[in-house]
Amino acid sequence: MIDTSNVNYEEVFRRYDIETEAKEKPEAVAAKILASVSDGKLKKVAEDVVFMNYKGVEEDVKAALEKTKPEDVIEKGLVKGMDVVSELYGRGIYYLPQVMVAAKAMELGIKTAESKMKGERELKGTVVMHVAEGDPHDIGKNIAAVLLRSNGYTVVDMGRDVPVDEVVKMVEEKKPQMVTGTALMTTTMSAFPTIAERLIEKGIEIPFVCAGGAVNRVFVESYPLGVYANKAVQGPVLASKAVEGWNYQKFRLKWDELVGAHGAK
Amino acid sequence: MASIKRFTRMEYKSADELVFGEAKYPVTYGLGQKAGAGHVIPEINFAPRPDAAKNPETLRREYVDYIAKDILDRAITLGFPRVQLENEHIWQMVNDPQKFEKPVVAGQKEIMEKYHDEYGIELSIRHTIADPRLCEKGLRPRMDKVHNYPEKVIESAEVAAENGADMLSIESMGGKEVSDYAIMNGDIKAWLFGIGYLGSLDMEWLWPQLVDICKKNKVIAGGDTNCAGANTSMFMAGGYLDKDVARTFAAVTRAIASARTLIAYEAGATGPGKDCGYEGPILKAISGRPEAQEGKGAQCAHADLMGNLMAHTCDLWSNESVEYHPEFGGSSVACWLGVIGYECALMTTAKQLGKDKVLRDLYMAADRFKSPEGFILCYDNAYQIGEAIVGEGNDIYLRSKAAGMKAAELIDASANSKGGIRLNKMEKDTLAKIIVDLESLPDNQDKFVDWALKTYKDIPMFNPRNYGL
Repeated sequence: MIDTSNVNYEEVFRRYDIETEAKEKPEAVAAKILASVSDGKLKKVAEDVVFMNYKGVEEDVKAALEKTKPEDVIEKGLVKGMDVVSELYGRGIYYLPQVMVAAKAMELGIKTAESKMKGERELKGTVVMHVAEGDPHDIGKNIAAVLLRSNGYTVVDMGRDVPVDEVVKMVEEKKPQMVTGTALMTTTMSAFPTIAERLIEKGIEIPFVCAGGAVNRVFVESYPLGVYANKAVQGPVLASKAVEGWNYQKFRLKWDELVGAHGAK
Repeated sequence: MASIKRFTRMEYKSADELVFGEAKYPVTYGLGQKAGAGHVIPEINFAPRPDAAKNPETLRREYVDYIAKDILDRAITLGFPRVQLENEHIWQMVNDPQKFEKPVVAGQKEIMEKYHDEYGIELSIRHTIADPRLCEKGLRPRMDKVHNYPEKVIESAEVAAENGADMLSIESMGGKEVSDYAIMNGDIKAWLFGIGYLGSLDMEWLWPQLVDICKKNKVIAGGDTNCAGANTSMFMAGGYLDKDVARTFAAVTRAIASARTLIAYEAGATGPGKDCGYEGPILKAISGRPEAQEGKGAQCAHADLMGNLMAHTCDLWSNESVEYHPEFGGSSVACWLGVIGYECALMTTAKQLGKDKVLRDLYMAADRFKSPEGFILCYDNAYQIGEAIVGEGNDIYLRSKAAGMKAAELIDASANSKGGIRLNKMEKDTLAKIIVDLESLPDNQDKFVDWALKTYKDIPMFNPRNYGL
C-alpha cells in the first residue's frame, strides 16, 4: 500500500468542522440561558430537558407542580429547557439525537403537567403532515413532527404513502394552519400540485409546505399554495408564520430572509 | 427455492488483491457485457421527470425514446466500448407492473439491441425493482391487505426478468422502521437490531425468491444495498457543515450494514452489487463478486466525503441517479454518462498499463482521512471488517456486531495515532459510546433478540411478525 505519511493533507482537504467547532460546553450555555429561572424546581425541570433526563423528568415536574401552575411548569420549565436545546443544536454543540431525546423528555414532562390542568392546554396551531403516495421514506417528516410538537403545535401525522384524497379530506376535517408533504422521488412528488389544486377547489388556501430528496424550490413554486422547505428544522419557523396568517405568496416573497440564506438553517 | 450458503472465509487471500476492474468471480451477461473482467464499466442511472408517469405511454416514451436513446447516442459519440444502464423502478412500475413496467423494460431492451447490432457496443441493463413495502401494513405476503406490496414486489421482479432485464437488483427496506429510530436517537444497539438482525431476516426471505426468478429467466441476480438505512445515516452525517448525525456513527452503521447486504450473495446472487451500496468494498473483499460503486461522478445526486475513494475497488462506476433534464452539454443523462465514462476510461487505461494498483492507492489516499466512513472503506480496512464478519459467518447477529466493533476499533486506533484520522468532539464522544454499547451486548443471538424485542417493542410501526418472529 502506498505510504501516505508525506502527504500534507492540509493541501488536500480541510476539516472546517473541527476548525470552527464550538468550544463551550452544554452546561455553560444552559447556565447562561437559565440564569433568569430563579425557582430551583423549575430550573431542575428545564435541566432535565437540556440534559435528556427522560427517566427523571416526570418526578421533577411533579415536584415543581407542588408550588407552580402546570401552565408555568410547561412554559417556564420545559419550554425554557427546549430553548436551550435549540441554541445548542443551532451552534452544533448538540446533534439531532440529543434534540430527539430532549424532545422525548419534554413530551413526558408536558404529559405529567397536563394531567393537572383543568382544561386542555392551548397550543399554537395545527399542522397536517404526510408523505406522498407511493413513497415510503418518512424520516424527514418524522423529525419535523418531533420539532413541531416540541415547539407547541398539534401535529396530525398521516404517515407515508398517503393518497391525495385522504390528505384533502384530513385538511378539511382538521382545519390546520399549515399542511406539509414530503417525497424522495420525482415521480411521487407529482402528487403535490394535485393536492394544491384540490384544496383550492374547496376554498382552502393554507400554505402547503413541501420538502424531501428530489423536491426543489422551483418545482414547489410552480403550483399554488406551495412553500418550499429544505430542512426539518425549518418547520417551526414556517408554522409560526402560518399561524400569523401568512399566505403562500407572502412566504415566497419572504422566503430568503425566513429560511433561505439569512434565515433558519 | 435457493438456499443460503454462508461466507465463513474470505475469497481473497489479502487486501492487496482488491482492485478496480477485476473481481475473483467475473460475470458475463447482457449484450456482450463482462463485469470484473479487466475493465470498468460506466453504469448510468436516471429518473424520469415529475409528470412523465401520467400514463404508461408517457412513461415508456420518457424512458425509452428520450433517456435510453440519449444515453446510447452519447456512448457512441464518445466512443465508449461498453455501458450499463440502470433503471431504478418508480412506484407506478411496481404498483401496476403489467401496465407501467412491461412496456418500459421491453422498450429499453429493444433499443439497446439495435445499438448493439449496429455498433457492436457492449450493453446491459440492470432493473432495480422498487420496494414500497410498508412495515405498518405488513412486509410478508398476505399481510398487506391495502396495497399487496409484498406480492407486487415479486410480480414486478418477474415482469422485469421476463421482458428484457439483464440483471435484477433491489434496495430492500427490511428493518428500516428500527434503523430510522436508531439514527434519530443515536442508538447503535437499535441499529444492530434493525439492520444487523431484522434487515438480515428480511433479506433471507426476499433474496432466495429473487434468485429463483433470475435463474428461471436466465437473468443475473445482481445484489442489494442498504440504501434505505446506511445511506440515510451517511447523508444525515453529511459533510463539514452538517451537524445532525456523527460521522463515526454513520461509519459503524455502514460496517454493520455490510453483514446484512452480504446475504444477497449468500442466497445465490452473483453481483455486480448495487452502486449505492457503499458497503461494496467489504462485500467484494468477502465474496470476490464484482461491485458497482459511485462517488465523484454522482454529484448530481449525492455529496459524500469519499468521491475518489469509492472508485478504488469498483467494477462499474455509476452516477447514482439524475433527473432527465437539459444541460448546456446535452441532456443530463448524456452529460453524466460522459463524466463516469471518462473515469472508466482512465481506470481501464491504468489496468492496460499495469498501473491499476497505483491509481487505486491514489484514489484511496486522497480521501483516506476525510471521514470515518471513508476510512473504514479503504481496502485494507474493508478487508479487516470482512474478516470480522466471516469469523462469525454463521450467526447474523454476531457477525453484524463483529463488523461494527471492528469498524469502531479501526477508527479509534487511527484517531489515537500520529498522522491518523482527525475527529471532531461529537465524533469522538459518539465513537466512545458506540464501543461501550457494543461491548455491553451479549455474545449470544437468542439473548440479544430477547433483550431487543423488549427494549424496542414500542418503536412506532415495529411489528415482529414482519420478520417471522
